[in-house]
Amino acid sequence: MLKIKNLHASVEDTKILKGLNLEVKNGEVHAIMGPNGSGKSTLASVIAGREDYDVTEGEINFQDKDLGELGPEERAREGIFLAFQYPVEIPGVSTTNFMKTAVNQIRESKGEKPLDAVAFLKLMKEKMKLVNIRQDLLSRSINDGFSGGEKKRNEIFQMAMLNPKLSILDETDSGLDIDALKIVSNGVNALKSNENATVVVTHYQRLLDYIVPDFVHVLMDGKIVKSGDKNLALELEERGYDWIKSEN
Amino acid sequence: MNITEDLKRFIDNENDSNSQKRKSDVIKSIEKSYSLQKEEYKYTPLLKKIEKKFNLLPENKEIVSQKSYSEIKKNIDSEFYILCVDGFYKPELSNIPPNISIKNYSELSDKEINLFEKIYQKYDDSKSDFFSSINSITHNDCLTISLDNNFISKDHISIINIIENYEVSNFRKMIFCDKSSEVSFFEQFIDLCQGESFSSSVTEIYLSENSKFNFYSAQDFKENYHYNSINTFQRRDSTSNFYTLSFSGSIVRNNLNICLNDKNCYANMYGFYAINEKSLVDNHTSVDHVDENSLSNEHYKGIMGGRSNGVFNGKIFVRKKAQKTNAFQANNNIILSDKAKVNTKPQLEIWADDVKCSHGCTVGQMDEDAIFYLMSRGISRKESISLLLSAFSSEIIDKIEDDKMKSAFTSLIKNQLEKFNDE
Repeated sequence: MLKIKNLHASVEDTKILKGLNLEVKNGEVHAIMGPNGSGKSTLASVIAGREDYDVTEGEINFQDKDLGELGPEERAREGIFLAFQYPVEIPGVSTTNFMKTAVNQIRESKGEKPLDAVAFLKLMKEKMKLVNIRQDLLSRSINDGFSGGEKKRNEIFQMAMLNPKLSILDETDSGLDIDALKIVSNGVNALKSNENATVVVTHYQRLLDYIVPDFVHVLMDGKIVKSGDKNLALELEERGYDWIKSEN
Repeated sequence: MNITEDLKRFIDNENDSNSQKRKSDVIKSIEKSYSLQKEEYKYTPLLKKIEKKFNLLPENKEIVSQKSYSEIKKNIDSEFYILCVDGFYKPELSNIPPNISIKNYSELSDKEINLFEKIYQKYDDSKSDFFSSINSITHNDCLTISLDNNFISKDHISIINIIENYEVSNFRKMIFCDKSSEVSFFEQFIDLCQGESFSSSVTEIYLSENSKFNFYSAQDFKENYHYNSINTFQRRDSTSNFYTLSFSGSIVRNNLNICLNDKNCYANMYGFYAINEKSLVDNHTSVDHVDENSLSNEHYKGIMGGRSNGVFNGKIFVRKKAQKTNAFQANNNIILSDKAKVNTKPQLEIWADDVKCSHGCTVGQMDEDAIFYLMSRGISRKESISLLLSAFSSEIIDKIEDDKMKSAFTSLIKNQLEKFNDE
């Protein structure tokens, strides 16, 4: 599904990713772990197509398509979803209106008819249950005045609405208490299938108790330096990152 | 100043002694109003631009219209409307609601003259703004609108001002609202003039005790220069709400002056401007708290694209007697291009000590984080910007209580914002 080869990326002449390789197949859950400043969030943003980052070398293939020149909206229409570490607050646009526009623009790009009000509402009701989010929150301006937990739940709600093939969860656990973490994780797990894949970017092992990864990768200084199964995460939790540094 | 000599001609030609006196009063302070230009029009070179292009002292005569203006009337969304052409009120082309007196000043009865004589040029800025001075001297008849006490109109009344036959035209009106009356007006200017023109409009509004007044205006000029001065005098327990939309025009200058002369007055001033190309829109507002316990609330928001210029100046005066005043002001701007500009200035003068006042202005650009967030969900850049700009305007729209006017303003803004999204 996703093949990243020798990816180099920089922001304002600072090199952040320095030759990263990663392959994600259908049905898999990958966790990307690593110390602060190792390039985890950059990787998430580069896959989603954020224009502040320059890809200077290498390529990202998604379903045998080179993402190179595609804008963020085109990548989303191909089935890539980024759950933001810091979801943006947008006063004056309701989440409902936001999702309606998004769902219908994606449908339009595939030559499908837009959903009518009734069908959209039905879809929304169904997905709301999944993340236990209240209607009144969705009628309000996007993330405006939301608590940390509400913001993250809203991200997973949007993910459920758009039903992506590849979901990238960027530090989704940050700012969540244990109950919110469970709700968010349950939502992610419920959306999992053999047809889609998830990349979880995280600092801590804690989230991986709930969203269990098939593969764990350690990202350091812009490269993946070690890969393993879920036990690697437990080992990192115990020993920190320094031992990997000395190994390299 | 040569113009003073020319203005005197208008006084000599005046038969009516009251009118002559009014005009003489303006002449006496014309040097002052001219000199105030420098500061009050610092970023708005209106006089400089128009004085060479036009004869600012026209002696327009009413042209008997052969037209029915059916196209224009078709677009009026209210049952009742007042139609004026080149500054002349056209009763035969208007549809006047019952129980409201709408007449030219020259046709008023003696009793009605007594009423309007107390308002005429009493509350306007003809002694401090040069364009109001000129309007006061050169305008033809004055439209008068008077509401009896307890009169309440459900639907708004449209005021359609057509600019057609003259390159310079002057509009003038007075509105008197008697006790506990309630009314809404929606004023628009329609430019049918070929090429450039200048229009000025001066309005005086008198709100008696416990009256409620809503005034909506939508300005969408082509190549016109426009000067607009609205002056409101409020008595006890009265409320005024102003909603001003400005979209284009070579230069548009709006003066909105409100005097809260009594206790328990409310004034709300909301404005939204979205301008492009080389348009300049200047909103100068002033609210004068004279007595206790009044509230004024002001919020103007603007979007500047192309090489356009926005100007906002908000004055708040709180007199010594005006204790327990609440006065709030905000102005927020988004600049969409490198060549667009905005000058914004709050100006507060407070003499009372027990007051609550706030002001703030912001100038910013489109939020790229927000655009990326929307795009990352599959929404095009164009549609994302559209959503964000309309969200920016929604704060003003939400202040409109009347559903019909709310939807009218929403669609006017939507149409205008589409023009900002071609890149």
